[in-house]
Amino acid sequence: MKKMLMTALSVFFLIMSASAADPAAGFLKTVKGTASIIRQGEAIPAVVGAKIFKDDTLRTGADGSLGVTFLDDTVMSLGPGSEVALKDFEFSPAEGRLSIFVRMLKGTAVYLSGIIAKLAPQAVRFETPKANIGVRGTRFAVKVEGDAQDVRR
Amino acid sequence: MRRRVAAGMDKPPNTFSAESQRRGTMQRLLWVLAIAFMLSGCAARRDLVVLLPDPDGKTGSIEVSNQGGSTVISEANSATEVKSATSAPKAVAKMDESEVRAIFGEALDAQPSPPEHYSLYFKSDSTELTEESLRTLESVFSAMARMKPSEVTVVGHTDRTGSREANFQLGLERAALVRDLLVSKGVDQGLIEVRSHGEDDPLVKTDDGVPEAKNRRVEIVIR
Repeated sequence: MKKMLMTALSVFFLIMSASAADPAAGFLKTVKGTASIIRQGEAIPAVVGAKIFKDDTLRTGADGSLGVTFLDDTVMSLGPGSEVALKDFEFSPAEGRLSIFVRMLKGTAVYLSGIIAKLAPQAVRFETPKANIGVRGTRFAVKVEGDAQDVRR
Repeated sequence: MRRRVAAGMDKPPNTFSAESQRRGTMQRLLWVLAIAFMLSGCAARRDLVVLLPDPDGKTGSIEVSNQGGSTVISEANSATEVKSATSAPKAVAKMDESEVRAIFGEALDAQPSPPEHYSLYFKSDSTELTEESLRTLESVFSAMARMKPSEVTVVGHTDRTGSREANFQLGLERAALVRDLLVSKGVDQGLIEVRSHGEDDPLVKTDDGVPEAKNRRVEIVIR
């Protein structure tokens, strides 16, 4: 029994350390006004240089804005009152593992696609509650007016 | 004490009815407000997607799609609106730059400058830069001053003359040299990540033992 527990624990820690070693997807390059990173349900104040990981949500207040540079050179910025979740990010060209998946819930965003879009355009996903945007290596801007259900939080 | 309570109990029916009447009015008012809000919301609640010119002046294309259909935008400052997840994106319409600016100004101003890539080349089996790369180095320095980077990666590479182990070491020495040059120009050493790929990541594939000038390089990414 004890042995089993120990094994379970060590497996648990292995998984934990593996996820902790997950490389950052990018980092904050610009921050103005109120802005935060929501990670595992907790709001971390956004500061220039802060790392961004897969599953983070970026949120700006009424006076806020921020800009992210991703490892594949994708550049994304948010205007005030915005919320955007990074659902997936993988950039290992050598192993052919490429993915960037952004879900925008509300606000305004400007997106300049990077190397992932050049190597594998279909590996780029940008979603709003109402549409998907297929990127062919380019820059675009999106405005999403939050629905009542998004305002809950 | 008891009487006061009893006396107090006399009143409630009255207050109650007055209150419930007030509440009824309040409720109706709230409904009217809610409906007005929903109506105004319906008109405004549309996704707007605008294709912007790339920083280098070129323009790519995007496809906006949902269950209702899809629209391709391939002209700069052209836009589409999406009313709901089931209604097709509207026909593409051109926007004024001032309109784009009015809606996306803050987001545009928050855009970080895109990362820049540079390659510096070396003479055979040495950490001496080629003449041309000494000039490139000046552009690297000015990019550092201009971009105020949050992260700089410096990766050393070699060709396939010499052993693999020695080349890993040489790649590291080349990268370290570039790092020292950057630090001497005031770049914070903590921002610089130095790595070597040795001979394993060539630009031009060659057989072992073959000298290749294009592979003797340090690649710099400024983010």
